[in-house]
Amino acid sequence: MHTEIKEFSYHIGWRSRGRRSGSHASTQRGMGMEFRGHTTLLSYPDPRRIDIRQTMRDPLEQVYVRIFNQKSATPVFALADLSGSMNFGSKQSKVALTSQIASAIAMSAYHNSDPFGFIGFDDVVREDWVCTQSFRAHQALELTAALKSFEPEQVGSMGLKDVNRYLPRERSLIFLISDFHMPLNELEEALSLLMQHYIVPIVLWDSSEYKNLPEFGITNVTDCETGQKRTLFLRKEMRANIIASFEERRIELEALLMKFDMPPFFVEGDFDSDALTEYFHQFVAA
Amino acid sequence: MNFHVFFNSPWALWLLPLAAMPFVLDRAFTQRYSWVAMLPKDRLSDLIGLLLKVLAVLALLFIILGLGSPHSQQQSIERIGVGAQIALVLDRSASMDDPFSGGDTNGKVAETKSVAASRLITQFVKSRQNDMFGMITFSNSAMYVLPLTENREAILAAVQATAGNALFQTNIGSGMTSGAGLFDKVPDSGSRAMILLSDGGGRIDADTQQKIRDWLDRLHIGLYWIVLRQPGGLSIFDASYVPPEDAVLPPQIELNEFFKTLNSPFHAYEADDPKSLAAAIADINQKEKKPIRYHEQIPGYDFSQICFLLAALMIGLLLVVKYLEVRTWD
Repeated sequence: MHTEIKEFSYHIGWRSRGRRSGSHASTQRGMGMEFRGHTTLLSYPDPRRIDIRQTMRDPLEQVYVRIFNQKSATPVFALADLSGSMNFGSKQSKVALTSQIASAIAMSAYHNSDPFGFIGFDDVVREDWVCTQSFRAHQALELTAALKSFEPEQVGSMGLKDVNRYLPRERSLIFLISDFHMPLNELEEALSLLMQHYIVPIVLWDSSEYKNLPEFGITNVTDCETGQKRTLFLRKEMRANIIASFEERRIELEALLMKFDMPPFFVEGDFDSDALTEYFHQFVAA
Repeated sequence: MNFHVFFNSPWALWLLPLAAMPFVLDRAFTQRYSWVAMLPKDRLSDLIGLLLKVLAVLALLFIILGLGSPHSQQQSIERIGVGAQIALVLDRSASMDDPFSGGDTNGKVAETKSVAASRLITQFVKSRQNDMFGMITFSNSAMYVLPLTENREAILAAVQATAGNALFQTNIGSGMTSGAGLFDKVPDSGSRAMILLSDGGGRIDADTQQKIRDWLDRLHIGLYWIVLRQPGGLSIFDASYVPPEDAVLPPQIELNEFFKTLNSPFHAYEADDPKSLAAAIADINQKEKKPIRYHEQIPGYDFSQICFLLAALMIGLLLVVKYLEVRTWD
């Protein structure tokens, strides 16, 4: 099972405050490589770190030790939108794609020695789809595997506003996996509650939503979340309008997310883990 | 015109609210879509959506109406036509095989009365396409030939058959009662006539006279009498004729006097050559052209066929849409 999981590498742009050793730059003193300064042996009684040169230079003949910052672990979270619209998808449903991405995040976090947590939400935070952060990824992987066959009901995604109560106070790396099919003002409200964390918005759009529409025909559509029904007469003009509408939405969404300094990561169809690695190289200062 | 629709099975109309179901229920077959609000407004699509529902409603409506089997009530319409019912009562007595009295023969044998009569009556029959004809011939007694019918072939054949050899005496009374009997139990078209064609007269006893008077009156039959005059015979119109004292009147004059006393219309003609016979028949032809007023019953029109046809049309349109329907979405 784990062979299917495509890992990616990530890093964070801030100093972690985690006490557990990990792989991110940290503010914690410890057995790291990053030199932070000197202090006397009395205040940091670690004889292994005695700095002989500094000790000899001191006219007051105090004994000095070097202090280093350790590398620390940073919590990594996957927030998964489980609203009705995530049931949509041509090759696989967006929920299945979410499961794939969440597994990849869990596996990557595990190999990066970071604790991983999973929170699913629809109109409320789904307690049955919550996995508290842990350095051992098994539980989270089980949950994300189960997610593959999950079929969301006809619900919205307003639980995003409550998610912050399930997150640690510590600044965490959060992957927000959603199709972002929600009103922009509500999204803005929800995101402003998550400002203390670093959020990577992973936007799941499906090409059959707009690009791969049928060429011609009449069809009835039902909204996955509201149940609203409409009859569509698909034709060249209508398709062009739909595509234009989605492109406009993409621009609006990008503008909003960039306002929060969260460049979106679009996934259409397949999840490419290398592209996500590339995303971190491009947007997150090491 | 008042237009009322009646239903044979009005209980089916209780199902009418079912026709609104397409508006209440949504179509079962729909595609899921992630966010309908993202789809731009499209008036044509909305229109088609509405149209589909209306089509479905109409289809159901017409089916239910059709089940009620609507029809309009039967109506009676007054029509004016020209179809007379004519009984031909022809004399077949031996004297009919004689030539006409007044005709100039020019040294040749003239046409006999029966042949001339049959020829002219054939023409008469042919010129009246809308009439029903019946035929009785008589000599010693009446011979029933043809009931009142519209079958022209039968009529013409019967008329032509009278041109053959004639038989014995003249028994007008029997011929006329039989002729009147033709009209019995036949619906009255409003124009009924009996054409009595004979040469000379015959005596009718009082009982038969009374019978003829009753029947002609009851059955509304007009009488035309064409007398083919015997050579040197009396004219029935001869007013100056004075019978010898203590002698009875000649039969044809007596008959004419009797006919004049009938309650029903009567007209007599006298013909002594084919030309005057033709004139008499032409006159009858003219007189019997009066328009007939009669009421025709028009049965109620059954609308259920139309309802089902319309429903089929709607369903056909829906099928076209079904054909256009997108089957493969995701």
